[in-house]
Amino acid sequence: MGRVAGKKLFSIMALVAMVGLLLLPIAVSLPSLAIGADAPDAVKKEGEQKYEKGRDVYYKTEGLAIGAPAPKTVDGPKDYPRYNFESRVLLWFANQQHLYYGSFVLAVPIFCMVIEFMGVVTKDKAMAKRYDQLAYDFIKISLTAYSLTAILGGILIFTFLTLYPAFFGYLSSIFRPVMHIYALMFVAESGTLYIYYYGWDKMRDGFLKWIHLSMSVILNVIGTLLMFLANSWIGFMMSPAGVDEQGRFLGNIWHVIHTALWNPLNVHRILGNMAFGGGVVAAYAAYKFLASKTDEDRAHYDWMGYIAMALGVAFLIPLPFAGYWLMREVYAYRQQMGITLMGGLLAWLFIIQATMIGILFLSTNYYLWQALGRMRGAEKYQRYIKYLVFILCCGYLVFITPHTIVMTPAELKAMGGQQHPVLGNYGVMSAKNGGINVIITTTILSFVWYMRGNKVSTVSWSKFGNIFMGVFFACAYVNIIWLAIYGYYIPANVRVGLSVPQVATTLSCLFFMFPLNSAMMKGAKQMGAIEWGKISVRSQYALIMLATAFTWMMGLMGYIRSSVRLFWHVNEIMRDNSPWAYTHTVGFAANMISFNVLFFWVSILFVFWLGSLGMKKAPVPAKAEVPGGAPQPAAGH
Amino acid sequence: MKAIMSLGALIGVAGLLLLSGMIVGIIPSDTVRLIEGYMPVQVIAELILFVAGFTGISYMMSSMGMAFPRFWQGISCWAFVLLYLKFRVYPPIPFSVRAMYGTVSLVAVFMWVSANEEDWQKFKQPIMNVLDAKTGGNRLLRYAYLIILPILIGGFSYNAMVPKSEEPIELRTVHPAPPASTKVHGKTYTLQTSQNPYRVNPEGKYDQEYSNANIVEQGMGRLMKPNANPWDKDAQGYLKYVREGGEIFYQNCHFCHGDNLNGRGLHAFAFNPIPANFTDPGTIAQLQETFIFWRVSKGGIGLPNEGFPWASVMPPWEQHLTVDEIWKVVMFEYWHTGYYPRTWD
Repeated sequence: MGRVAGKKLFSIMALVAMVGLLLLPIAVSLPSLAIGADAPDAVKKEGEQKYEKGRDVYYKTEGLAIGAPAPKTVDGPKDYPRYNFESRVLLWFANQQHLYYGSFVLAVPIFCMVIEFMGVVTKDKAMAKRYDQLAYDFIKISLTAYSLTAILGGILIFTFLTLYPAFFGYLSSIFRPVMHIYALMFVAESGTLYIYYYGWDKMRDGFLKWIHLSMSVILNVIGTLLMFLANSWIGFMMSPAGVDEQGRFLGNIWHVIHTALWNPLNVHRILGNMAFGGGVVAAYAAYKFLASKTDEDRAHYDWMGYIAMALGVAFLIPLPFAGYWLMREVYAYRQQMGITLMGGLLAWLFIIQATMIGILFLSTNYYLWQALGRMRGAEKYQRYIKYLVFILCCGYLVFITPHTIVMTPAELKAMGGQQHPVLGNYGVMSAKNGGINVIITTTILSFVWYMRGNKVSTVSWSKFGNIFMGVFFACAYVNIIWLAIYGYYIPANVRVGLSVPQVATTLSCLFFMFPLNSAMMKGAKQMGAIEWGKISVRSQYALIMLATAFTWMMGLMGYIRSSVRLFWHVNEIMRDNSPWAYTHTVGFAANMISFNVLFFWVSILFVFWLGSLGMKKAPVPAKAEVPGGAPQPAAGH
Repeated sequence: MKAIMSLGALIGVAGLLLLSGMIVGIIPSDTVRLIEGYMPVQVIAELILFVAGFTGISYMMSSMGMAFPRFWQGISCWAFVLLYLKFRVYPPIPFSVRAMYGTVSLVAVFMWVSANEEDWQKFKQPIMNVLDAKTGGNRLLRYAYLIILPILIGGFSYNAMVPKSEEPIELRTVHPAPPASTKVHGKTYTLQTSQNPYRVNPEGKYDQEYSNANIVEQGMGRLMKPNANPWDKDAQGYLKYVREGGEIFYQNCHFCHGDNLNGRGLHAFAFNPIPANFTDPGTIAQLQETFIFWRVSKGGIGLPNEGFPWASVMPPWEQHLTVDEIWKVVMFEYWHTGYYPRTWD
């Protein structure tokens, strides 16, 4: 007994020591972070003699201009050394690949944490084992991808240093302490990840399992902070702060990090990474499902694909709202930037983005409808799917209607002007908000149908509950569509505010109807079991489609976000004087994004293959089954 | 249920007859018109009615033992959408948008016919029959496809590659991003923060809410609000400035932008594209008042690089009007169309 207590104490102390060590670099570097506002008076006095005063371009505060001004580059081998190739494209490739892998390895540990937690708290031991196995499978894939992320990070830095030395020199002079903290945290992330992975078996049971779970929390905290720090660099490039108009650092590193767009970028990227990670794991499961030779394997990978898809979609649903917030902040920061993005030069890319978002939701709905096929008793819902298809289609068509229509001069003349009296109304924000909210609400409805697919509620108030849910959804649709129409009749600033009740309507469907449905289905009569593995192959292609669309969209949005700086390295501070300071054509960008997507998928297939090399089949205990389903295979570790 | 489906079938048949009649010209093409101001909602409402109608027809035919095969249901549905977009919506929809809509509709039809295994089997059965070619008719069809499909693909490829004399497609940026500031008659205006000096309440203070309350009503007719007639000889302040803006508009702008500000003025059709239609919700309703001030002042020649291909013959009005006149005419445009200038608060 005493030995067990000692172990517990030791493990807690080890955990605390680990956290302490992780925080140490930050604590040590804090005093040196801000020698502007928070610096001791002696330092300030000394500084005043040497340095001029400067005014922060964003915060409008004054500080000592302790940094060098942003270099005024000229096209030549000194500032822009190059191969006989467009340096920007090389950098684009290196950056995008690093981002794909970075997003994946940041998202997957969050899934592991959630799934491992579900395994720990579930009372069904067979299910607990399943969840634990699934979490382990996830982290295993992530581990190989982690090494690749680090390698790609190295390639990215070398590309910066060799092709854009002046710009990278300036950026690293501003972010010097942040970059060091980043590097230290990367070490901490690696250490925690390896302990987490290799300690899985040792910390399998009892109290140690909780310690193991706590480590996943630490792992994710570090991962998220890492991402926040990296976001501060791109935030600075888009909406610089903490420097004067010559680009001289004013001594307050927090201002440099906490730029106008940092917070919305952070939120958008977390959600985006999670949705992307879910998509990639779901595609992995789909690929394994399609390649499976046995019913057992199909059952396991069907289940894995479903869980990954559900987690991915859980983060996909709030993603458009986070994107909306980001755009709002972009408009608030610089109106020109907002118009360039959504109404001007890059507007057509946004139409492509809307198309991709629609594909994501369409694929999700399609997968759920196919998933109804593996439940006996779900036939009653399948006959109504055509109506959901119609609603989704209408919402989607409105959502993708362009504001600036591509047409030949002859078509322009036949149309009698740039604005089409019907389509013109679909091309503006009011209609698009309605469109996307209709799509999301329909997706929620599909989920509700899926959740009750093979069940019949037995609660005494089930009739009332069904009517209530039906009326609630009907009212939600009416409210969303009505507000979309009403938006044309009110001032723009009020119209922007209308998105709040629209989103609230959609979210209330999510947050009220899911629990209500769960309450109704408590103790429900099962019409038949969920037959894991008995799902159409079309569903698996839908999962692959989902993942590909995520990957393509990430590439596209990254390109749009970066392109909006136009001919600036750092917006309005450091000009890009290379020969490539122009915006690519839509066609070139689309090809480049497709190439990046293709490269990522080929390379991640290699990662999956590597992961499968270490997998050994273990005998499956008879008890260990997904409730009501076919036996699940388990890989040994 | 039967009664509802019968009603649906009736609507479907009547709708199809009406639409076909209007398209081929048996009945006047304006029998059921798209009503200005309500067109977007009307188009969706019509499509809803047609879907209800098709459901009813399908149900009735099944009940009568003459079920319409799922394969042909899917094909007909898609064909209907394409024809509807091509012939019902006027002015004609440019091909790029019709292609997008057509593709989405095709995907939707696929999602519908393959939503469950039974439907999917029904849908693909005729295709499998032709591929298997177990009957003489199917064998003939298979050979026909073998010959026709390559010819069609070849034809499309040839058509796509053959040099054409028509002007190429232009990705025109209708509203390019404005500069941070603009200089008019020697004074610099910051577009993010500048305000129209004539948008004032009776106390003479800038008040957008006051002016918003006095614009014409949107929708059909665009009626003036009671006690908000700028042409009333006693009108003062905001309404008086609107009238002055109107006078400037009708002396200078209406030749191109039209009496009703809908871009269809006397000279409008000499240009391609025709001048901006201010009554469309995609033009001034989406923009800050300062954006319009900048565009009026600088005209087509002052469009930034982003405004490719600079297809605008708008004169730089700063060469003909004073700053005050430009502000007043901008205010008149908002008043007359019933739109509110965009604000960011």
